[in-house]
Amino acid sequence: MTHNKIATGVKHLFLIVGAAIMIMPFVWMLLTSVKTVGESTSLNPFIFFPTVWKWENYVEVIQQNNFLRLYINTFAMMAIRVACSLLFSAMAAYAFARLNFPGKNFFFGLVLFQMMVPTQIFIIPQYLMVDALGMRNTLFALVFPGLVSAFGTFLLRQFFMGLPKELEEAARLDGCNIGQTFLKVMLPLTRSGLMALGIFTALFAFKDMMWPMIVNTSSNAATLSSALAKIQSAYSIDYPELMAASVLAVWPMLAIYIMFQKQFVEGIATSGGKL
Amino acid sequence: MERVLQSKASRRIRNEWYWAWFFIAPTIIGLVVLNIIPIFQTVYMSFFKSGDFGKSNVFIGFDNYIKMFSDAQVWHAVANTLLYTLLVVPVSIALAMLLAVLLNGKIRGKSLYRTIYFIPMVAAPAAVTMVWKWLYNTQFGLINYGLGQLGLPAVNWVNNPNVAMISIAIIGIWSVIGYNMVLLLAGLQEIPRDYYEASEIDGAGKWRQFFVITLPLVTPTLFFVLVTSMIQSMQVFDVIYMMIDVTNPAYENTVSLVYLFYNNSFKYSNKGYGSAIVMLLLVIIMIITVFQMKAQKKWVNYM
Amino acid sequence: MRRKALPLLLMLTLLLALTACGGSGKSEGQSNSGDTDQQGSKGKEVTLTYAMWDSTQAKSLRTLLDEFEDKNPGIKVNVEVTGWSDYWTMLEAGATGGSLPDVFWMHSNEIYRYASNGMLLDLTDKISSSNQVDVSKYPDGLVKIYNYEGKQYAVPKDFDTIGLWYNKTMFDAAGLSYPDETWTWDDLYNAAKTLTKDGTYGILAPLHNQEGYYNFVYQNGGTIITDDKKSGYDDPKTIEALEFYIKLIHEGLSPEVYGDGGRAEMVQNGVAAMGFFGSWNLSGFTDNEAMAENFDVAVLPKQERQASIYNGLGNAVAFNTKHPEEAWKLVEYLGSKEGQDRQAELGIAISAYEGSADLWLSSNKTYNIKAFVDMVQYGVIRPYSNSTAVWEDKAYEALKPAFMGETTVEEAAKNAAKIMNESLAEEK
Repeated sequence: MTHNKIATGVKHLFLIVGAAIMIMPFVWMLLTSVKTVGESTSLNPFIFFPTVWKWENYVEVIQQNNFLRLYINTFAMMAIRVACSLLFSAMAAYAFARLNFPGKNFFFGLVLFQMMVPTQIFIIPQYLMVDALGMRNTLFALVFPGLVSAFGTFLLRQFFMGLPKELEEAARLDGCNIGQTFLKVMLPLTRSGLMALGIFTALFAFKDMMWPMIVNTSSNAATLSSALAKIQSAYSIDYPELMAASVLAVWPMLAIYIMFQKQFVEGIATSGGKL
Repeated sequence: MERVLQSKASRRIRNEWYWAWFFIAPTIIGLVVLNIIPIFQTVYMSFFKSGDFGKSNVFIGFDNYIKMFSDAQVWHAVANTLLYTLLVVPVSIALAMLLAVLLNGKIRGKSLYRTIYFIPMVAAPAAVTMVWKWLYNTQFGLINYGLGQLGLPAVNWVNNPNVAMISIAIIGIWSVIGYNMVLLLAGLQEIPRDYYEASEIDGAGKWRQFFVITLPLVTPTLFFVLVTSMIQSMQVFDVIYMMIDVTNPAYENTVSLVYLFYNNSFKYSNKGYGSAIVMLLLVIIMIITVFQMKAQKKWVNYM
Repeated sequence: MRRKALPLLLMLTLLLALTACGGSGKSEGQSNSGDTDQQGSKGKEVTLTYAMWDSTQAKSLRTLLDEFEDKNPGIKVNVEVTGWSDYWTMLEAGATGGSLPDVFWMHSNEIYRYASNGMLLDLTDKISSSNQVDVSKYPDGLVKIYNYEGKQYAVPKDFDTIGLWYNKTMFDAAGLSYPDETWTWDDLYNAAKTLTKDGTYGILAPLHNQEGYYNFVYQNGGTIITDDKKSGYDDPKTIEALEFYIKLIHEGLSPEVYGDGGRAEMVQNGVAAMGFFGSWNLSGFTDNEAMAENFDVAVLPKQERQASIYNGLGNAVAFNTKHPEEAWKLVEYLGSKEGQDRQAELGIAISAYEGSADLWLSSNKTYNIKAFVDMVQYGVIRPYSNSTAVWEDKAYEALKPAFMGETTVEEAAKNAAKIMNESLAEEK
């Protein structure tokens, strides 16, 4: 009994120290964002908590940047990318996991191949395509490279492969065609996988920095990530303001994650429970 | 009778083909247009000395490749990229596995821990690099202040050639642990409870359970995590790009292949040479991945 | 019930996405560089895109552009700010795809590539027929930067010089007199030595060309690039200057600093008493309470002669802009006496137009900014050739070991010369 208690204590100690390390940079970001420049670089004494919380840093940053616009652009981009990659990846993943057809290995090879290629090499060719369509500085441009997802196809293929074949065979015997089997039987079973892919896609879209920076140069069409990179690269010694901008760029995604994290992780867990 | 069966069977097979093609069509068309064509353009480019703005390219055969093989900086970048991968992938997967196992059992505050460990994953890269740069700052950084309080000397986290790669790897590990942990946790929760119950009846201890049940049964997820995080580590760019510039003494020890590709293609406008560098990276990643795919049959158990 | 949740969620996201798409599509259409209002530029409003890389100028520049819009009904100017390094990536992509911004900033490092490849509109005739822009009112060196094969591809916008920033409080405490135009390298060295105490350094000597050793090279009569496009790094005068500069680090008068890494923080926090910073930092330094209180700026010290690296941006027009007339109107206004005067009064940048800089002096009462203007008479244009960006980086890489104390300065400089000459040889 006591042995168990010690083990639990050690577990918690380990987890708490780890959690502190994970969260420390964000705490520091928040604390720095409300300091004056002097406080942020004071050494004697080193200042953890500012005497007066200087919210003016936020006011300043918000006045200089249209954050509302950035939030709208970012979330619209994320929503479309999620919808497209879920739909297309699930279809392709099912075919690769469960159907036999000529060219299967070749096409799956293409999917794997794409994942290995550094995304930077796509930038100029994709830029030229968007430009040829006259779609720079639009929502379409933001979404364009994420219309399909090799990663999503690969991820969902793993999920489909983990499902028992019997269910599918039963559906076929019931007279369902392949499309119906996919939609009615298989897709609902990968709900958790789709959820996971949706969240990962949203995250990657949110974090993508280089592409929006290059294709949507107008500040009205930027995303949070690209706007933040611009704010940083424009020379500034005002760390508190940079941190305030960072906080403003980080919190919405953080809030969404915290709100949905339960569904997210538990969704993945329940799919396993049905085996 | 036989013929009817045969034609029925072949009709079924054909039917399956059509459905399959229909299912993969959007993804494959998208990949071809968005990715495969650009890759071929890059291969093509690597045989040219590029003129400015894609004009007046001169065909030079394998000259870019020959130049690349004698360019010490390229080999440094190969070594740096591999070193980064070797630092980030094993450490982040091991730690993520440990966390996933700890959180998989009955433990208080489970969802809080899970939430916290995943947080770095949801932050914009520019924000992450900015705050880490500030933490690493030699004079005013929190980390050096902490070291000072413990009576340790200050470390030049960003400029010391021997340390900078570790600093970058720490950011890499820190950002990716939560992602790996969530995937592994999902894999762990797919393992049926009765396996554990059965082994408990047999009197197996926790460690034995881990090696006999947990580890083998989580291998499909582990494989997925391994492949994707290897590939991502090999493509490391954002953090190094924002933290280390060419005047930094640690540049030579941290520049990655993608960073070198970026500098040559965009900063020095030598797209041909940049393309050759990225082809080298592609070949290295492909070799590693093919090796992993072959090796998976030896250690991955699909249930 | 649960089964229906997912398709429903999918539908919802899609719906949200589509409505968002329509909404922002419309508003974005107006900001687009003009693809939409291609036809019928007469009578209809024309929107120009004006690209630049300095966000500290963006705010006050907007005021100037508003004034331009008031004077030119029917023309709207949309400013796009991208940070320095991404700016060139963006412009490169735009040039390759034939979709450059209508009007954009040009720099000496890049002008050759853009001009020689026909990416810029030839402004020669427009300038000669204009009664507002008179290039003879601008410093010769600045005009020359943007002249390629006898044609003028940009109108100078401003200039910048490098100043010696010093901590008055620390000087007072050490009983030293402030730097002025009589200062020589010896004065600088002695002051740095006096100001160096445990924990604080007398000076910052970063591995930085424009805001660092370039100035010393030219003060010593050396050069970075010769007139016949050969490297000057192996010039004995250049090596001598580098030796003096790097000595400041090796004697412990300056910390080892590379690039931009935290230089400004070190100065403003009293870690170092003196530093070299370009005039473009002015607005940032003025906003900073600690700097405004303790600091001032002076001209650079001299050795054989006085020198400060001096550079100027230009406003260029895309060769294929759909609105050449309107774009020229903007560049013309920005380059006219009136535009230049306003730019100076608003404190946006130091106007390059003859006499305009005097107006700039009154835009900032915090520092002795006259120093920046005084240095123009002996300013040296930032060294450039057709592939500046390439050899600047190579030179950094070659000089680094000397800064780190791994090789002698002479060895590093000669290596830099060799590598730079190789890269210059590849230029056509």
